[in-house]
Amino acid sequence: MEYEIVVGLEVHAELNTKTKIYCSCKNEFGAEVNTNCCPVCMGLPGALPTLNKKVVDYAIKMGHACGCKINRICKQDRKNYFYPDTPKAYQISQFDVPLCENGHVDAIIDDDGNTKRFGITRIHIEEDAGKLIHDDSFEGSLVDFNRSGVPLIEIVSEPDMRSSADAKAYLESIKSILQYIGISDCKMQEGSIRCDVNVSVMPKGSKEFGTRVEMKNVNSFNGTVRAIDYEANRQIEILEKGGVILQETRRWDDAKGMNFLLRSKEDAQDYRYFPEPDLLTINVPEERVQELKDSLPELPNHMILRYMHDYKLPLFDSNLFMENPDKAELFEECMAKNNCEPKNVSNWILGDISRILNEKNIKISDTKLNAENLCSMIQMIESKEISNASGKVIIEEIMFTDKTAKDVVNEKGLAQISDNNALEDVVKSVIEANPKALEDYKNGKTNVMGYLVGQCMKASKGKGNPAILKELMEKHLMNA
Amino acid sequence: MKIDIKHIAKLAKLRIEDDEIPKFEKEMENILSMVENLPPLEGSLTIDENNCMELREDEAAPSLRRDEAIGNAPHKQAGCIVVPKTVE
Amino acid sequence: MELYKKSATELSQLIKNKEITSTELVKATLERIESEEKSVDAFLAVANEKALEKAKEIDEKIAKGEKLSPLAGVPIGIKDNISVKGMNMTCSSKILENYIPPYNATVVEKLIDNDIIPIGKMNMDEFAMGSSTETSYYKKTKNPWDLSRVPGGSSGGSAAAVADGEVSISLGSDTGGSIRQPASFCGIVGLKPTYGAVSRYGLAAYASSLDQIGPFARTVEDTALLFDVIKGYDTHDATSSKFNYGDIISSLHNDIKGIKIGLPKEYFSEGVDAEVKTEVMKAADIFKQLGAQIVEISIPSTDYALQAYYIIACAEASSNLARFDGVRYGYRAENLENLNDLYEKTRSEGFGDEVKRRIMLGTFVLSSGYYDAYYNRAKLLQKQLTAEYADAFTKCDLLLTPVYPSTAFKIGENIDDPLKMYAGDICTINVNIAGLPGISLPYGKGKDGMPIGIQLIGSKFSEKLILNVSSKFEEAVGGFNKVAVR
Repeated sequence: MEYEIVVGLEVHAELNTKTKIYCSCKNEFGAEVNTNCCPVCMGLPGALPTLNKKVVDYAIKMGHACGCKINRICKQDRKNYFYPDTPKAYQISQFDVPLCENGHVDAIIDDDGNTKRFGITRIHIEEDAGKLIHDDSFEGSLVDFNRSGVPLIEIVSEPDMRSSADAKAYLESIKSILQYIGISDCKMQEGSIRCDVNVSVMPKGSKEFGTRVEMKNVNSFNGTVRAIDYEANRQIEILEKGGVILQETRRWDDAKGMNFLLRSKEDAQDYRYFPEPDLLTINVPEERVQELKDSLPELPNHMILRYMHDYKLPLFDSNLFMENPDKAELFEECMAKNNCEPKNVSNWILGDISRILNEKNIKISDTKLNAENLCSMIQMIESKEISNASGKVIIEEIMFTDKTAKDVVNEKGLAQISDNNALEDVVKSVIEANPKALEDYKNGKTNVMGYLVGQCMKASKGKGNPAILKELMEKHLMNA
Repeated sequence: MKIDIKHIAKLAKLRIEDDEIPKFEKEMENILSMVENLPPLEGSLTIDENNCMELREDEAAPSLRRDEAIGNAPHKQAGCIVVPKTVE
Repeated sequence: MELYKKSATELSQLIKNKEITSTELVKATLERIESEEKSVDAFLAVANEKALEKAKEIDEKIAKGEKLSPLAGVPIGIKDNISVKGMNMTCSSKILENYIPPYNATVVEKLIDNDIIPIGKMNMDEFAMGSSTETSYYKKTKNPWDLSRVPGGSSGGSAAAVADGEVSISLGSDTGGSIRQPASFCGIVGLKPTYGAVSRYGLAAYASSLDQIGPFARTVEDTALLFDVIKGYDTHDATSSKFNYGDIISSLHNDIKGIKIGLPKEYFSEGVDAEVKTEVMKAADIFKQLGAQIVEISIPSTDYALQAYYIIACAEASSNLARFDGVRYGYRAENLENLNDLYEKTRSEGFGDEVKRRIMLGTFVLSSGYYDAYYNRAKLLQKQLTAEYADAFTKCDLLLTPVYPSTAFKIGENIDDPLKMYAGDICTINVNIAGLPGISLPYGKGKDGMPIGIQLIGSKFSEKLILNVSSKFEEAVGGFNKVAVR
């Protein structure tokens, strides 16, 4: 039988606020153990939470970015369970009234820019737990509470994904939005974005979902793909053998590439949610909700599709611009001048310019590069006034000096030589200097042509027009 | 109203010995039986939008020193609090 | 000079007049504590050295001619569920033995800013769960009027120490009557402020939505001054209020002619002893002589408040007390085989029966399948009760009621009957359920010679009026300020 996979994701993203969600301790990764802790995030008797305004703002921004309805009046609830990383033995979260609900993302699912819409059930705010450290050299597990109280948003999707590829496309979209609107660093290796995966399978074409299995501890996007494929196969195998899927929670082991039973339905946690009595109603003024909406930049997938559509750039280039707003800004300034080929501009920015920036470990704003000079240079190349090779010389100058592209061309005499007489001399001298190549050519190895034209370019310091040089070289070789 | 004392004790992380169960059962049932006499109540619980709170600005304040933060812990090692192993 | 009989206001004035030093007062207080504790057992810890250090600082300020606040230089007792940095806080539970808070509760910061000297931690019912201070793991506090009787609870230590003249003022906390009832049993004044009037930051929570810290004293003036110090918005407590009370102290002696005092008939049910009712009615006559108009009022849902109270309080307690897990502080059981052992052994060995009972009840009412039937219904009832009180306060300014159905009972008398113990709370819990302020004032004695208390209840943030009316009553009866005699 053919099966269809149904996937829903719960993404937990740490927000990059300065302080924790319910206290004024620093929210930072990598501090010495148990140094960013206070009575509140240690759960000391008598300590009380106070909600960080920025967390609410950030969650609302994410809600807007996903087209959610914003519940500007909402509350927080306690989720009760015992675990050593949870100091109060409850997590402050949101239960029945999340800050945002009923949204969606349109994820790009192929290189042609086709999209698929995945529903978002809700986005709510909650606190992260501390960290357990396991090491055989200790007799128990160690607890570090620096992460306790770090703000999280949990983004819960509808069960709208039908493959691991869908899940990956959805996750990429969520990640790019989080980063683009500046609310999360999304550093996988630091655990700042994690997800729980719900997987079920059903006969293809069926309208009724199969029994759902929840997988925890999926900490990378590639891990998500493998975890979904593994779990779907596990379920299909069981069904094929005539078995039934049990509603349970399983733990993904990325190193082993397998999952293991964590708890069965009978052992399902009873979290005893109830309204957090230490906090009152969250009431965000309507104007503030609108302000946050207005403050949003263009969303990443929209931008990618606009680049693909308006500038005919490939997905790859468009994606790089989305990920690098400063480069995108330069690109768009160049486009506003409307005098060069978009793809050429893209190639220069994502090619040589990016290489130089990387080598020096600097940003565009650290250089003197501007759209005016860049376009002027690209135009000269497009009109064959200068060679592409000269461009590589010019780019360094316009990035780090006050010279214009034209200044550099004049100063270095980079204007392409199209004068036949001057180039005849170059061709003759190159042939004289390479008797072996001439010999080869006469013996039918016409591919030495490229080498000889290259030598001419070198001799003319890159200024010779390659097309004319090739023409002259062919003439002289035939007559030699 | 019969209460599953063992189940509730498990949720509350309390160990109630078998011989104590009847006592707990009786006491809790007595209290809960009072509730069953509550009159039918009208209205519903909604979020009170007037009972709202001021939110905190995102500005850092000093944390506790580590020796203060974990000073009361019964078992410490390497700047951390030690608990029985949570994974095998 | 018998300093122990003086009010805090008088003592602070003596210090400012340089008739005594704060150091002398602290020493005298420590001596009084040492001799009285042998019989009363109100203190769990006494801060001898720290208190003397603080007194010295205050004496230096006086010497320099600094202007000090009205209660400056006076020692205060602090209920052992309020964090004082560096002083053991147990909440009278084994599970918090050896716990030393690394921070001060906001109220403690305010005391220190006002040069009031924390002198010790007061015994209480374990985690404030009880009405007699008998559930303390450490000791049983006695009623200073009769050592065979309880001081009431849960703030029994705070009340007994003030009644016995060990201190002139103390702080307690009130979740269902835990300030007013012991004040009544011990013949002193106890104020339960409006929910949100005083910051709870640093108060180990029993039931977050009902708990309030409040003052004990032997005079209304001391009560008002101490309330004035501890009240106010706190950025650390999201549930604290920005209400502006204006000048509470200068209005203490305002004329109360024309105010309307309501007698809610449900508070005078069969369960309340006749002698208690008689005293309350006599008090009503005194208010009448002061120019008040007495009206009859009805709060129909009163009879159900007890149920709502135990569900809400226990539900919150089950969650609030989950943090006592042996991980970060306090008691941890030994010989643990695994994580579950750590939790179950620690909590079973660390909590007393009353605490376990309430955690169990709270866990049950929040558990899957029962939430709507219990917790939701209780919250609905709370909403209804709150509305009934709001309605009552359109018909009168204050309510006059008993505090407790009887005078202080004997130690051990009710301890084995939780239901009977709980039922005693009927006159006090409504105030917590509706978030209102209430005060207990000493008036009259029972046949057994034990003090009786009357209660004034006001609308939210009406402490100024409550204290004004209380002060006029105090004047009319020739003053309170009686240290217990036995």
